[in-house]
This record gives sequence, C-alpha cells and structure tokens, in this order.
Amino acid sequence: MAFFQVNFFSPTLGFNTDIDVFIPTPNSDEILNKKKSDYFQKDRKYQVLYLLHGAYGDYTDWMRLTSIEKYAQNHKLAVVMPSASNSFYQDMFRGSDYLTYLTEELPKFVKAIFPISGRREDTFVAGLSMGGYGAVRLAFTKPEQYAACASLSGAIDIVSCKEQNDDGSIEGPFLWDSIFEHADEIEGTDADLFALAKKQKALGKELPKVFQTCGTEDFIYQPNVSAHKKLLEAGVDVTYEEHPGIHDWDYWDTHIQRALDWMPLANNSVEAGKEEK
Amino acid sequence: MAHIDCSFYSPSLKKNAHVIVFLPSMSADDYLENREVHYYDKDKKYPVLYLLHGSYGDCLDWSLRTGIERYAQDKQIAVVMPSGENSSYVNMAHGEAYQTYIGKELPEFMVKMFPVSEAREDTYIAGLSMGGYGAYRIGLEYPETFGYIAALSGAMDMPGLLCSNVAHAQKMPANYKAAVYRDHHNMAGTRDDLPTLLKEQLEAGVTLPKLYMTCGTEDFIYPSNEAFYGKACELGVQVTYEKFPGVHGWDYWDAHIKDVLKWLP
Repeated sequence: MAFFQVNFFSPTLGFNTDIDVFIPTPNSDEILNKKKSDYFQKDRKYQVLYLLHGAYGDYTDWMRLTSIEKYAQNHKLAVVMPSASNSFYQDMFRGSDYLTYLTEELPKFVKAIFPISGRREDTFVAGLSMGGYGAVRLAFTKPEQYAACASLSGAIDIVSCKEQNDDGSIEGPFLWDSIFEHADEIEGTDADLFALAKKQKALGKELPKVFQTCGTEDFIYQPNVSAHKKLLEAGVDVTYEEHPGIHDWDYWDTHIQRALDWMPLANNSVEAGKEEK
Repeated sequence: MAHIDCSFYSPSLKKNAHVIVFLPSMSADDYLENREVHYYDKDKKYPVLYLLHGSYGDCLDWSLRTGIERYAQDKQIAVVMPSGENSSYVNMAHGEAYQTYIGKELPEFMVKMFPVSEAREDTYIAGLSMGGYGAYRIGLEYPETFGYIAALSGAMDMPGLLCSNVAHAQKMPANYKAAVYRDHHNMAGTRDDLPTLLKEQLEAGVTLPKLYMTCGTEDFIYPSNEAFYGKACELGVQVTYEKFPGVHGWDYWDAHIKDVLKWLP
C-alpha cells in the first residue's frame, strides 16, 4: 500500500484538516512471497472504504491501533481516514459541519486527487463506537452514495447513548448542547438513525446494507441488541454479529476483518465509471 | 495546497520511499475572497515540478525552509519532493538506483496516483546544489519525460567538486562517497559528468529540455556554474543563466526558486 498523510484546507469546516489514505500498490510481501499482483492501470480505479474514528480519537487511530493496511491490501481496497472531532458526525449546531464535510466535500476531494471510484457499488463506510454511529449516519444520509456500512461497537442508538451519558453510566466527551440545538429532542430527527431509515425508505430510497457487530461484554452491548431490533423494524437489511469482547482495539482489529469479508468487494481495481463532476 | 506526505514501496530502490507532494487545492484565501475555483473538476491535470534537495538533506527541506507551497499555489502547479540521500541522484555504483527512481518510476507513479499531467511540456525538474546536478543528470537522461530543467547553485562540475577540499565534499563519509560513483577521480568523460552528458545527448540528436541555472556570485560553487555555462555555449546549447549576489544557502534558494517558477511556462 502507498500511505498518504494529507493536510488541506476544508471550506466546509473552515480550517485545515488531515486525512490518512491508503492506496493499493505492490509491497515487499508480494515480492517475497511471489504473489501475483495486478495493480491499477489507466482508467481503472479503486473501491474505497471511509473509516471513522470514535470519541476522543482522530484520523490516525485506525492506522496506529489496528493492522488496517494489511487487511485493505489483501482486498486491494483504498482506505480514507478522516477526523471528525467529538462531533458525533453531525453538522454541529454550535461548531463545524462534519456531516456535510464527510458526505459531500471529502468524497469530491479524494476522488479528484486519488484513483478512487465514485460509484455507489464501490463506496463503503465503517467506524467504531461514535464512528459506528457515524458510518450508518453517513450511509443513511446519502443512501445513493454508499453500497454498505459497518458499525463496530457503535453508538447506533444515539438517544439511548445520550441518556446513558447523562446518567453517568457511560463516559463521553460530547458537548450535546453544541452538537444539537435541542439535545433532548433527538428522537424522530435525522440524527435518530431509525427515524432517518424510515424517512429515506418512505422517499423510495434504497438503503445501504448494514453490518453490525458488538462485544458481549461491551458497555454498549445492550443498546446494540435493541438497536438491531429497531433497525429490523425500520426495514434495514442488517447483518448482526456478537462475539466475546469489550469496547477496545482488540475487538475492532479483529472484527474490521469480518466487516471487510462481509462487504461485497471486488478485491481488485475496478473500471472507472462515468463519474459525476 | 494539499500537503501530502507519501510513503510507499519503490521497486527501483527496493525499499520504502518517502515523498512530499503539494497539489493545488482550495485555499483559505480562495474561500475568503469567493474565488471561482476548479480544483475538483474532472480531468483537471496540473503541471508538475520535481524538486530535489541537496546533500545532507531530504524530502522535507524545500517545504520547511522555503515558501515553495505559496509560490506553487500562485502558479497552480504540483510539486513533488523526493528523498535522494547523498546519492547525487545517480544509479549508485554500490547502492540504490535513484536516477531510475526519480527519472522513470516516480513520474509514472505520480501520473497514476494524482491529477498531474504526463505531457513533456508540463513536466519540470529542478534542485539545489547536489539536487541541481541531479536535475540535469536526470532531466538530460530522460529528455522525453522532462521539458524543463533548472539548477539553483548546482554542482555542475561533480568530478571537480568531489576532488576539491570544500567542506561539502570533505565531510561526506568516505564509504558513502565510495558507494555513489565507481571512481570519482575518473568521472570526466562519463555520463555522470554533465558537460559530457550534454554533448552526448546533443550528438544523439535528442530534443533537449529547456535549461536554466542560477547561482550566487559569492557561492563557493559559482566558478563551476560559470564553467558549465561556458561549455554549454561552446556546444551551442542555449541556457538561461542568472546570477545574483548571494552564497550557498536557503536565503538564495527561497528567493530564486521564484525566478525558476517565473522562467517556467
């Protein structure tokens, strides 16, 4: 993989921001082990995974704390890791428009700079914890843009997450009154993923498939069990897994691999489509 | 500019390579002044400047010590800054193939990876000191890839420099020096000697890249710039040569990389 640390001005956020990017290129493992490598040619592009960090984290987390490079190499998949602060992946009421940045500006930017496909069937999003919510938030906000999303130990049920945060049963750095205008009235808004799913379905949109996984000893396990039910009720095509484990990088390093195996990946470069400008 | 720190496996070097890239992208000024921008347009391709560091340096030098980001943003060109160790950017006699890496592999990689033009007239190579030598060594070896070559305070007489007693040559670890050239005492008349390379390419009838050089008149390397210019003139090769008061340092290179950009189309 070629590894790129990119710093650029984001007009949406109003400040400079960083992303880490992996693009498949031949590596020493393939030379040493005589693996056949077919890398990109002109007019071929890569499928892409947008990979989101959790609360307290940033764009470097996945690269530093998992072996995502190796897994993506095996799938010949590009990976884009952005930063979203502790925004809960929203356009903040008092703060920056992270949701717009991630669903509109960033895809346009990385497609302009790197050989990344812009087609729906080539675009995936995954994340952990707050980013596990974020992955579904992005996918359901622009269902025409993503083929599938994966939530690892995700705070999919943001309403219950806020309640638990308020009563002190889970920690969180979230400035709820900065993220939302009415932090006690999230239910039923677009930030409520079950409501968002129903709304998009009512509009006739095809929702991206969801992969949901959580450790059975995770503090966020019970909310995931009930979130799974609510996703099914909302008519979402969701694949659910639970395994022994807690809310930590061992779990995410292991289960991002299962998420990648579940995704309908080409495991190769793909024909460049007639992309929108 | 987007600042892109790249790390990837290089088949030419047979090890990981580190490259810094600037790509034009929306700036805060563009945003504040409501400029109409076209950075993300489909099929947008930028001219590209390969910019080489000097001895004892690496791929971070130009971005840390000059305003190259601002200058390139104004000109709307991409800048690619590779690391070349102290190799003089040749295919080392006992070491890595930097000439092949920067002359062939890197442009191919960049064209595939980023929105940069592959047209000869949009592809430039420049550098300072050892990098000025490298720009000429590589640009003249791959004249079908590079349309323009520029040297700032370039080591235009590498055989003479290596045998001289200036600190730049004397402080170079002897075992490293021994790895670069087969015999640096007898380089004259080989293609590692720039006037010879220029002459051979001329005789081979290749279309030469356009040539530029600049050097400070108080620079220890100034006499070799004068001499190279004289030899190029004798060969009938046109070189744009500028000289200003100054020594071998970043003040000169920060000021005069702007002249290089002005000279480029």
